[in-house]
Amino acid sequence: MRTTVIVTALGPDRHGLLAAVAGTIAAQNANVDDVSQTVANGMFTMIMFVSFDETETTMLELQQALAGTGEEVGLQIHVQHENIFKYMHRI
Amino acid sequence: MVFITTEEILETVRMIQAENLDVRAVTMGISLYDCAARNVDDVCRRVYKKILARGWRLVPVALELQDKYGVPIVNRRISVTPIAQVVAGDDPEGYVKVAHALDAAAQEIGVDFIGGFSALVQKGFTRGDAALIEAVPQAIAETERVCSSVNVASTRAGINMDAVLKMSDVLLAVARATAERDSIGAAKIVTFCNVPEDNPFMAGAVHGAGEPEVSINVAISGPGVIRNVVAGNPDIPFTELADLIKRTTFKITRVGELVAREASEALGAQMGIIDLSLAPSPKVGDSVAEILESMGLERVGAPGSTAALALLNDAVKKGGTMATSSTGGLSGAFIPVSEDAGMARAAEEGVLTIEKLEAMTAVCSLGLDMIVVPGDISRDCLAGMIADVMAIGMINGKTTGARLIPAIGKKVGDQVKLGGLFGAGPVMPVSRAGNEAFIARGGRIPAPLQSLTN
Repeated sequence: MRTTVIVTALGPDRHGLLAAVAGTIAAQNANVDDVSQTVANGMFTMIMFVSFDETETTMLELQQALAGTGEEVGLQIHVQHENIFKYMHRI
Repeated sequence: MVFITTEEILETVRMIQAENLDVRAVTMGISLYDCAARNVDDVCRRVYKKILARGWRLVPVALELQDKYGVPIVNRRISVTPIAQVVAGDDPEGYVKVAHALDAAAQEIGVDFIGGFSALVQKGFTRGDAALIEAVPQAIAETERVCSSVNVASTRAGINMDAVLKMSDVLLAVARATAERDSIGAAKIVTFCNVPEDNPFMAGAVHGAGEPEVSINVAISGPGVIRNVVAGNPDIPFTELADLIKRTTFKITRVGELVAREASEALGAQMGIIDLSLAPSPKVGDSVAEILESMGLERVGAPGSTAALALLNDAVKKGGTMATSSTGGLSGAFIPVSEDAGMARAAEEGVLTIEKLEAMTAVCSLGLDMIVVPGDISRDCLAGMIADVMAIGMINGKTTGARLIPAIGKKVGDQVKLGGLFGAGPVMPVSRAGNEAFIARGGRIPAPLQSLTN
């Protein structure tokens, strides 16, 4: 079963942040379907739509891997199932 | 794929990370009617076994959903059939044994509270009801997780004043029995008018007679989210403010709906209700008082507080009912004192009084809630306070409840630390005017007329 999650990353900007997060996602056999990223007043904000097959990775594994990356590069990374956004903002 | 904008995603993240949006409780209601037996030891065995059989996955499922959606699910709880309807007999000792069985089951499952050590006596007592009420002080003092509630009034039956006086005695007895812990036992007892059968909030949660075998009821929260919306719009008129609160509550409630759907499916339980109450906690920024103050009141308790609460309560319900068709429970804003840092501060300063809180009871979802009163309060004074709260519920056809804590050995102005979600608050002054002759009349205040409603 294919699962879509939304990854949000927030923190002070520096080189290689997008690459670091995307690299971890790729290493987990997950796919970045869409990405948007901005830097304002030195703050890096990135939103990724990421999908994966549950036979290849799980949400927990992805969360743990990205938590590790977040600590390494100084980002606060949240991984949430897409349904929470659909439910909150759409009927 | 549904298109979701960057702003919407960041709004959700901000609500959770910065504004304390959470699901306050996922409460599993379990029917215990089939646990009835002649022998109370058999009842205890059946009760323990059934709660474990139906509830053992509650905590892991709630934690799974918490990780999946990134929303904290603060409490996992169990409510059961009012115990007075399950246990036959008039021996209070038997009811205490059942309380221990409930406590043991709750501990085994890993929930912090189990509600339903309860009776409904608005019209009168069965032998079992009387025995259960007599057992409440010992049951609460000897257990950690058991919560008790007694419905003493309803719009259809009136107020059972004998029961009101009994509850006053119960509260004083529990307070004395737990005096070394700031009388915390009294915080686990609610006296109700028009008790809802599907309330997920403690201490008043029960799984009522009309409920299914097993259900999942979800309590939303999020005062911090609403507070930020209100504070961010200091100059808009009330109609626009109400709209903003409705829109925000819609989003909060949708989170509850999602969690309720998935939890009930995963647990093989019927989806029950979403309780639209804004429940504060002692955490900074998680306060209903701060919402009211953000509307323009210097402190909650100032003139206009009741009107502000009325607007908030109504807007929360309107927004919530758009978001789910399964509303229930208490559904409104809570105004507890010790559990809400803003309320406690206003009470300490003397701006918020019990009389003002009583007026606010008419437009909120519970009543005189988590209010610490002097330990030397008389049984008649306490009974009078409970009766006043019941009268507001009875006349207005709404649920009201009293959770009053007589702090033994404490006097007005002393600070009482109840701990955890119970918070801390000052001992509040109560009227010392006598009411003994009124309370001593006993009997029942008749049910009110439902027309000519001025």
